[in-house]
Amino acid sequence: MTPAQVLPPRRLQWLAQAVLTLGCLGVDPGWLLGIFTLVLVLMAALKLLEARDRAGRRLVALLQLVGCGLLAAQQPDLLPSLLQLLAAVLSLAGLLQLESGLSVGWRLLLRRSLRVMAAALPLALVLFLLVPRIGPFGAGAGWPSGGAATGLSETLDPGSIATLVDNAAPAARVAFSSNRPPPPAQRYWRVLVHSRFDGSRWLRDGDAERAPSGPPPGLIPPPTAAADSDQVWLVEPSRFTAVPWSGTASPLDPSLRPQPTGELRLLRPALERRSYRLLEQPGPPGWQMRPPRIVDLVLPLDRNPRLLALGRSWGSLPDPLARVQAAERWFRSQGFRYSRTPGNLPEPNGLDAFLFERREGFCGHYASAFSALMRAAGIPSRVVSGYRGGAWVVPMSGASYLELRQSDAHAWSEIWLPGRGWLGVDPSAWLAGGAPASAAAGEAAVGPVLGPLRWLQRQWWGLDMAWSRWWLGFDQTRQEALLTWLLGGRRGLLGWLILAGVALTLGLTLPLLRSRTAAVDRPGRDLAVLLRLLRGMGIEPAAGETLEQLSERAARRHPALQEPLAELVRCHAERRFGAGMDPAAARRARQRWQYSLQLLIRRRREALRLTPDPDRDHP
Amino acid sequence: MAAPTTPQPAPQPTPQPSLDDLVAAVSQVLLGKQRSVRLALSCLLAGGHLLLEDLPGTGKTTLAEALARCFGLAFRRVSFTSDLLPADLTGINVLDPSSGSFRFQPGPLFSQVLLADEINRASPRTQSALLEAMATGRVSVDGTSHDLPRPFMVIATQNGLDQVGTAPLPESQLDRFLMRLSLGFPEREAERALLSGGALPLEAMASARTPADLLALQQRCRQQHSADSLLDYVLDLMGASRAVERPGAPLSPRASQALLAAARAWALLEGRPFVTPADVQAVFTAVAEHRLDPLGTGERSATLLGQVDAIR
Repeated sequence: MTPAQVLPPRRLQWLAQAVLTLGCLGVDPGWLLGIFTLVLVLMAALKLLEARDRAGRRLVALLQLVGCGLLAAQQPDLLPSLLQLLAAVLSLAGLLQLESGLSVGWRLLLRRSLRVMAAALPLALVLFLLVPRIGPFGAGAGWPSGGAATGLSETLDPGSIATLVDNAAPAARVAFSSNRPPPPAQRYWRVLVHSRFDGSRWLRDGDAERAPSGPPPGLIPPPTAAADSDQVWLVEPSRFTAVPWSGTASPLDPSLRPQPTGELRLLRPALERRSYRLLEQPGPPGWQMRPPRIVDLVLPLDRNPRLLALGRSWGSLPDPLARVQAAERWFRSQGFRYSRTPGNLPEPNGLDAFLFERREGFCGHYASAFSALMRAAGIPSRVVSGYRGGAWVVPMSGASYLELRQSDAHAWSEIWLPGRGWLGVDPSAWLAGGAPASAAAGEAAVGPVLGPLRWLQRQWWGLDMAWSRWWLGFDQTRQEALLTWLLGGRRGLLGWLILAGVALTLGLTLPLLRSRTAAVDRPGRDLAVLLRLLRGMGIEPAAGETLEQLSERAARRHPALQEPLAELVRCHAERRFGAGMDPAAARRARQRWQYSLQLLIRRRREALRLTPDPDRDHP
Repeated sequence: MAAPTTPQPAPQPTPQPSLDDLVAAVSQVLLGKQRSVRLALSCLLAGGHLLLEDLPGTGKTTLAEALARCFGLAFRRVSFTSDLLPADLTGINVLDPSSGSFRFQPGPLFSQVLLADEINRASPRTQSALLEAMATGRVSVDGTSHDLPRPFMVIATQNGLDQVGTAPLPESQLDRFLMRLSLGFPEREAERALLSGGALPLEAMASARTPADLLALQQRCRQQHSADSLLDYVLDLMGASRAVERPGAPLSPRASQALLAAARAWALLEGRPFVTPADVQAVFTAVAEHRLDPLGTGERSATLLGQVDAIR
């Protein structure tokens, strides 16, 4: 080993600290746990700055490892997990460097560190598989300060938007267990439901964004035949608690609650990337059959008179479905065009101006106008905003997924028909100009020109998706299934099973670690400690000097140390050059060495205490 | 075989009889030369031959005879002169008048300790006959080979080469000597003790040890433990001596064997069942200097020791 490979003492720990700090960037300080983590990492850095002795640096390593664990509890995604792994490996290597005492090359240290991690892996696996989950940390605590963005907004007010700018930022990704995307016609991912209409704007329910109500979903029986309809979502940060879903799936995560309006809400907004798993259920979901409320029919009578008149003219038709068909015919016959630059609509009768004068707009205009017309025709209706379409991405490795961008944001209408419940209607599909560009944008982006960065991003997201599917996907439900399979009804045995698993893995891996450490050159390490100690006293080994000569020289300078030094030299010679010892004798020899070393340190300390103040003995 | 030591509770390493009395006995005769005496005894225990190089009157003969006496070995002394013939050393076949056949009359080589005084005054031919006997342990006279007695040790003395009438030993023959020692002048105090009659006369030296004891000790010497890390140290020394840019002759494998054997003997004299780098260093100059630089001043071995890290 050349000295070039040996790092200065604290370099590895500093590296670990740097990686750890990097990992802290995504920590949400709104959580108690997040604050605690940040403080802990800061403490580790400060301690590392001042730590000179072994005990201090051990404490630093401990703080760093605990910090890694806390970060892992908060950021389970692929990239943060990789960072945490790197930090843990570096921190362990720093600790090993500290404990090995010798100047060991960093490569060897990293290898050893990885070996320790590998040895811990079976144990971690047992704990991961068997120990019952607790709910997500800090659920429901704190509120966001905003700053995140989506292509959706709380209020749908198409009249005030003169120009729609394409925003290609990613919004969400979803992978399907069947590895096949749903047919394009079914790719409507609902997020927000706007039920309140004031004549120009569509608003969400007043209590929206308050903590979602409703009981947590009961545990779904383990998927058997339905395993094919599993979805894993990764959503980008958003300031809404509502997240995209197909509307028919049920969440497996207790922090997700389907709402009566058909939104799927998190307990708190996702300020960082969230992932969750949904299970597609057969049969209509609960919200779909929920009868309409008064608010679903409210229409201000003092605005948009022409719209009201048109809607009422259809209201005379007895069959509600016939009223919808009449509206569709009307839309198709009027030559509406899709436009991203419709300009502002005049107040207060903006929808009248859109429907009867300009006849061009984007999805928001159509959904808004259609829903208002339906209300005028006496059919409960509302506007739903979310995403439509999406690009199906097949990366080189990892999982295939459907990519939703903010440019895929879409709005459509929902009407309530007796006996059929809430049904989605997309009036943008009736345009003369064909499919609206906003929905087509996503598909077009998959086209031939794909920048290298974009390509790389997609490959990474593929891996990310796979990680979420296989690693984060092992949640309470799956664990429940595994435990049921393992134990059947005898759940009381779970404790014993965990204990047995832990004992087995420890039994398997500990001897591995032990045998590895036994191969380490203990006398050599101990010798290095002694040499460092002597060096600290200003006694450097001269060229070609033997340990005997060195210790004699040291004893001449510090006569109090002669006895322990002589014993150390004898002990070292025996351990290093003596005939092979059996393990017991080797242990005894090491004890003798340790004892003499302690004696040496004590004597040295006493000598130091006496020398700086020689007058004290003779006042 | 030395039993593996149990270092509990006291660290006293060896349960073997001490050899300190041996050193003390010889030191009584040769005053103030403890280190040289130890080296000479190591040479004897390692079964090697010794070359003493010094001025006349510094105690070379005394040392040789004391070594012989402390194990009760048969001692012969031959003064090498320029007209000494090989047969004068090995012996000759003489006609036995009573039986009418030839009978081998052994020469002075057939002893257990042979003091070859002033070996560099003899002709190269005689020198080589002696050295051949030293290397092989037997002599051939008229086609018949005769085994030399065991133990067998040659202690050769050599005067300074600047003196008149000397033929320097070639390097190949110097190599056959395990050690080269030079006694040097005694310290003032030691010489005072010598003058005041403090030295034990050789004749008064008595020893309870027999030649068989020496053979047993030599056997034990060969069994001294040398750990891998010690062999590494020896090999590092050899490697340093063979470095291209270094002046002087490189050390041969025979030299490394000699070094280890001498270090083992030294450790045995110290009462330790294993060899440490300190033992190697103690014997290194005596073993290596005459191989590194036959005519030099004796600093090459010290330089070499300084080049190799001994703390290991």
